[in-house]
Amino acid sequence: MKLYMLVRRNIKLFFKDKSLCISALIAPLILLFLFIAFLGNVYKDSLRSSLGEFPVSDTLVNGFAAGWLISSLIAVCAVSIAFTANLTMVQDKIMGRANDLAVAPVKNSTLALGYYLSTAIVTALVSYIALFAGFIYIAIAGWNLSVSDVLLTVLDTFLLVLFGTALSSIVCRFLKSQGGITAVEVVVSAAYGFLCGAYMPISSLAKGLQDVLTFLPGTYGTSLLHEHLMGGAIDAIGADGAPAELLKGVRDGFDCNLYFFDHAVPEWVSYLVLSLTVLALVGVFVAICILAAKKHKKK
Amino acid sequence: MQNAIEIEHLKKYYGEVKAVDDISFTVKQGEFFAFLGVNGAGKSTTISILCGKEQSDGGTVRIEGLGQENLDEVKKRLGVVFQDCVLDRPLSVYDNLRYRAALYGITGQAFEETLKELCALFDLTPILKRPVDKLSGGQRRRIDIARALLHRPNILILDEPTTGLDPQTRKSVWEIVHRLRKERNMTVFLTTHYMEEAADADNVVIIDSGKILANATPLELKNRYTGDFITFYNAEEEELKALGMPYEKVGKTYRIEVANTEKATELVLKYPKIFRDFEITKGKMDDVFLAVTGRRLEQ
Repeated sequence: MKLYMLVRRNIKLFFKDKSLCISALIAPLILLFLFIAFLGNVYKDSLRSSLGEFPVSDTLVNGFAAGWLISSLIAVCAVSIAFTANLTMVQDKIMGRANDLAVAPVKNSTLALGYYLSTAIVTALVSYIALFAGFIYIAIAGWNLSVSDVLLTVLDTFLLVLFGTALSSIVCRFLKSQGGITAVEVVVSAAYGFLCGAYMPISSLAKGLQDVLTFLPGTYGTSLLHEHLMGGAIDAIGADGAPAELLKGVRDGFDCNLYFFDHAVPEWVSYLVLSLTVLALVGVFVAICILAAKKHKKK
Repeated sequence: MQNAIEIEHLKKYYGEVKAVDDISFTVKQGEFFAFLGVNGAGKSTTISILCGKEQSDGGTVRIEGLGQENLDEVKKRLGVVFQDCVLDRPLSVYDNLRYRAALYGITGQAFEETLKELCALFDLTPILKRPVDKLSGGQRRRIDIARALLHRPNILILDEPTTGLDPQTRKSVWEIVHRLRKERNMTVFLTTHYMEEAADADNVVIIDSGKILANATPLELKNRYTGDFITFYNAEEEELKALGMPYEKVGKTYRIEVANTEKATELVLKYPKIFRDFEITKGKMDDVFLAVTGRRLEQ
């Protein structure tokens, strides 16, 4: 009950802060608009160039590009929104409310989980709103997704939300000011998209950098989203008669296939990496909270 | 009378700084206890150790016989009102009370009954649904105190509770606290900058640079550290000069300080003509504090 009430309190605090709430909701929409306006044609041209002489319909190309944009959008939002949602934890420290919580008979692990779960719920809510808008956009551009693609995308988003929440919780645990979290948000929004292969395919980067990025768990989540939101369009191109080699080239070129030091990573391994990372990061976050409270007592 | 708080040889060091340096005192059950000191004297550190927020570097703290190894039980017996408002300002009064109560396991019908009681006590019904940030400072303070009393603690710790409040609100806050103290035999542990609040205490401890400089009742402290003051009304300055003692003009009155009431009585008997209209008063807690620490409390 204590955990449930803490989660409710944290969520309510987030949604009562209108500026925070609006900025969290608007951020993915702005990103979606920018993606469509500036990068839509880049990826359409890139697909056509990958397919060479093979003729492909505009609907398939549009559907493919929309899948890339939405998968990138969700991959970035699941992490960046989590940083915004975690502001409640930082504000508790800034406003002195953390002192009040510290004198209540609540375990530090319960407080930590309360922040984690509330941030995850808020991030999931905003991410799923963005995903719903994304599905509408894909439907308008050219729908090639199967029911399993949709369900797996929902699962991918869920895992990325848990991952983004855990990562942001660890970082935010060390922040003590509003300026600090703003600075971190700016860095994360700018850098994370490149690091996870959302803004540009990892396959287009230098080999050494590709290998380094495959050590980052976010990359696996982004790759899963790419496959589930673009795979349908690629399969449809295959159904139109495109050779398997050509399709593999497209999948490799747009990170639907992920390679760990030249070894293809099966989908289930990506899920395993992401799930284990989430568990490990949540464990680290809870441990940090408990240790920080003990250190504060001894200070 | 049992001891509510027992502190023995308590020490807390921050590197070279001895924030609390081997202090010992007891607070009796149902007592109104004032803990006085300038900023940085060691008051807040002592309170933090009492509440379990910080660990001591030596000595023992027992709350109603319980040591810090029973921290959860200790926390249930303490209610803490911090100097700064620690309410969730965007949330309603009701939500603030409900989420706080849940941390003490008070939910459902039990919470509604407690709420009813607190509403009657603090006149909260008209503001129950209003967000805290729309309330006045006095109203917020009432809610801070109500929140600290949700779980019916045996000991109420008030860390400068009336700082920044207007005199009328201060008066009403104290009326409630004193009423509760009588009705529930609640121990009140107060730190304050307002010396007149400390004058009403059953016992006073003055701390400076981490050490206890005085520990007694206000009357004992006044007798020990200040003399009596005789104020003359409608007296001529020439008459005062005849006394052969230093005097000061305060408005339309003259005031002289004597060692004690005995000395005052001697003067009355010796110079009956001068003592037509006069008043003998004890020194004030301000004077005690100045005499003990060599400085005045900032207000």
